[in-house]
Amino acid sequence: MTAEHPPGRAHDPAHDEQAVHRRLMRFGEAESLATPMWEQRDTTVRAIAGHLSSLWDAPSAPAGSGAVVTEKGLPHARASVLNLIVTVVDSAAADRVVQTLLGLGVRHPSRALVLVPEHEAGEAPLDARISTHCHDAIGGGDRVCYEEVVLAVRGDAAAHLAGIVTPLLIHDLPTHVWWPGDPPFRDAVFEQLVELSDRVIVDTADFDDLLGGLRRLANLRRQSGVGDLAWERLSWWQELTAQFFDAPRFRRYLPNLSRLRIQYAVPAIASARHDEDDEVSPGVAAPMAQALLYAGWIATRLGWKRHRTLEPLSDGGFRLRLEGKHEMVDLLVEPVPTDDVRPGELLSVRLRSLGETGAAEFIIDRDGDDAMVATNADGMTALLRRVSMDTVREPELLSAQLTVDMLDRVYEDALRAAAILLASAREIAA
Amino acid sequence: MAPRRNEAGPDEPTLRMPGDRTVRPNPLREGLRLERMAEPCTMVICGATGDLTERKLAPALYNTLLGGFLPPEFTVVGFARRDLTDEQFRQHLLDGINAHSRNRPAKPAIWESFARGIEYHRGEFDDPAAYVELAKRLDRIDRDRGTSGNRLFYLAVPPNLYPEIVQQLDRAGLAVSGAHRASGSKRGWTRVIVEKPFGYDLDSARTLNREIADVFDEDQVYRIDHYLGKETVQNLAVFRFGNGLFEPIWNRRYIDSVQITVAETVGVEGRGEFYDSTGALRDIVQNHGLQLMAMFAMEPPVEFAAEDLRDEKLKVLRAVKPMTADDVAANTIRGQYVSGWVEGERLPSYRDAPEVEPDSQTETFAALKLAIDSWRWAGVPFYLRTGKAMPSRVTEIAVQFKRAPLALFQRAGVPAVEPNVLAIRVQPDEGILLRFGAKVPGQGLQIRTVNMDFRYGSSFAVDSPDAYETLLLDAMIGDPSLFTRDDEVEQAWTILQPILAAWASGTGGPLHFYAAGTWGPPAADELLERDGRAWRRP
Repeated sequence: MTAEHPPGRAHDPAHDEQAVHRRLMRFGEAESLATPMWEQRDTTVRAIAGHLSSLWDAPSAPAGSGAVVTEKGLPHARASVLNLIVTVVDSAAADRVVQTLLGLGVRHPSRALVLVPEHEAGEAPLDARISTHCHDAIGGGDRVCYEEVVLAVRGDAAAHLAGIVTPLLIHDLPTHVWWPGDPPFRDAVFEQLVELSDRVIVDTADFDDLLGGLRRLANLRRQSGVGDLAWERLSWWQELTAQFFDAPRFRRYLPNLSRLRIQYAVPAIASARHDEDDEVSPGVAAPMAQALLYAGWIATRLGWKRHRTLEPLSDGGFRLRLEGKHEMVDLLVEPVPTDDVRPGELLSVRLRSLGETGAAEFIIDRDGDDAMVATNADGMTALLRRVSMDTVREPELLSAQLTVDMLDRVYEDALRAAAILLASAREIAA
Repeated sequence: MAPRRNEAGPDEPTLRMPGDRTVRPNPLREGLRLERMAEPCTMVICGATGDLTERKLAPALYNTLLGGFLPPEFTVVGFARRDLTDEQFRQHLLDGINAHSRNRPAKPAIWESFARGIEYHRGEFDDPAAYVELAKRLDRIDRDRGTSGNRLFYLAVPPNLYPEIVQQLDRAGLAVSGAHRASGSKRGWTRVIVEKPFGYDLDSARTLNREIADVFDEDQVYRIDHYLGKETVQNLAVFRFGNGLFEPIWNRRYIDSVQITVAETVGVEGRGEFYDSTGALRDIVQNHGLQLMAMFAMEPPVEFAAEDLRDEKLKVLRAVKPMTADDVAANTIRGQYVSGWVEGERLPSYRDAPEVEPDSQTETFAALKLAIDSWRWAGVPFYLRTGKAMPSRVTEIAVQFKRAPLALFQRAGVPAVEPNVLAIRVQPDEGILLRFGAKVPGQGLQIRTVNMDFRYGSSFAVDSPDAYETLLLDAMIGDPSLFTRDDEVEQAWTILQPILAAWASGTGGPLHFYAAGTWGPPAADELLERDGRAWRRP
């Protein structure tokens, strides 16, 4: 990326703007008020900090938008809840990040620092671009503002990002690092950023080496909170699964589960890229991640233990035998080629139980934007219903991950279990 | 208190949360958004064809469903007089969702799946046979849909029908929880949700409570005051007890006075008959006003649990100094609006509104100065005001702090610094505002008051649930924290009883008139001026 072409910026501004507008409409927002972009090549951290603080001097009126006052004659309040540091490696990743952040700004008044490190020395060590986006909050009256600072850092400075980032953070607010793509766990820059953050957010579905990544992520937890967009994609599946067993009459089937089959989507044609209107969607490196995390979640919540590999990993599927509370459990993970949903999304979950009173099966089958949820138990009328199953987009996933607690014990348990399950599935294959 | 009908005898199993004692909690719930989920149940809406069902209940149920908070077995039975088929009743709910829900229109596939669990039960509220049939229907639903004998009755009818309905429910064996049922499911709970107004005065409230208590135990009764379901009101407790900063100054040593305002811009809006026999004191102060005051002034509860919370609120209400007839004349103001302009539109006089008596003495505005005789609040006046046809719609609690002990800057020729104010806004623009003095930059010493304004909307740009969504879910889960207990209701009436009596007899001061679109009669301003204070202009 060159200095003439600022990092993270879409190549066609008109297309970019349209895309952003469409994205905002999805949140039910009318329009964002963006300040004119402040852009400086070969700048200094002090100049950037100076400009950022000037944005806060006139909180009510982003330049060019006209004065905005409420009915009480008070200026619109500015509030911030977090800092977000994002590191990107190339322009495609930068595009994706900027798009996602625009959607995110609607939910989280925040300051985002997008870092584009370029290790080869360029003509200038530091370029910066600052823009502010304000949205009228849902229901009107309030305004949510979000600032985005894109920094291109070159040469030696790229190896010392912490020193550049620290003065630009809003003090006393939680700082999150979002690392799209495959994080370089042992890299010094990555470690610097982990050091100054409260939480690191990744997407395990982006890991090139899934097993190694899951293990390192589990260890990273000792230094920092960990968030995972792949885990967030599971939240609705988890809710639906838990609902089966909220009714006491079905809860007694839980210790007797004997089979869990999880199906997940893989691209129909191996090379196909899943492009959804304006969404810049990278290929999914590890589509099995979600299915593994789901299996890890069930296994750790129900206290299942690894027992034996029945069918080792091949073509993304495997079969394990686990030791449940009362029964041995067959765990099947199966890829299903389809272009209907994003690779890695779950397609179907079936839990089968052999209770004292007979067999029961609990089923969630995805069907486009809906899902069929069914309970079939011996001697009882089958319960069948249709629920919503929207594909949650990246800004919403990130937004949800930014809202939850710093430490998520249930996730950490599932993460460790997912690594063990994957290692077991590979055991014989290797 | 009479012996509780549902109290477990020595050889009976306990009735609360049936099943939960023997079945362990759902291990898959841990870490999910809701740690506790509503149990499968049937909700019977009495008066299901009315306005409340269409405007509030149907949208609340649909949004709760979309959020994933309703169990799959959840079933709705509409119970009313009108001759409707199941299909027509479903359409009635769907119309309500499509017109009033924050998520609209309803998604067809989701709605159809949900609608299969909606039935209509036609019957007269005074016809015993209708309740016998209802009981049979509920037993069938328990069998077919797995609702486990859990039943939630929602009384969406005028309060004069409550006694009839609860007695009929009792006679049909529908009022008791599982183990006491003569037929049908021997498990499960029965709860009843009652809408305000809870009585007309102390006597009628006691009678109503007694009539309900003859049939239901207090822990089965959920009295809805939808103000308590609002996020800001819930947050008041978090603000006070979750932060270390505010509680130490939350007392008479630092607080000068407290103002609570519940202002509406509308007139009586087609509710003339109801309002003319009610008035502002009964309509707003008895429930919302005093509940806000109690939440604001209560001591920290032992635990953040329903009974502890309600015990603390009750203590505040009990500590309110009772008024004599002289106190009423001195410390209360009542007003009625006459024609004026509100929000750019002309509003005719209250007495010209439909169904209002032409010489009505009903107050549309009330201002009270209350005293809470407790160690924490002795000497701190609480000013409450509420009114219709006010200049803006606002609900807020404003705390005025005492001035700095020494007017340090006065010697430099600077006028006294305004006292600090902390305003908690409940609606609209929910948030918290702190006002303090700051030096104007430049040579010399000038002090100006500035506002630090925190808005929920600007920090959490999310769609908050409607109060009814929160409260319906709480009732299904069995958490009565945000509902009013019988003794709270009666204590609130006890506070207001002398005022109602003095106003009715004419000894409580005259009825003042104010133009619509103003902040009430001048007499209300004098009430504070006398104490060297002034109402805020929120």
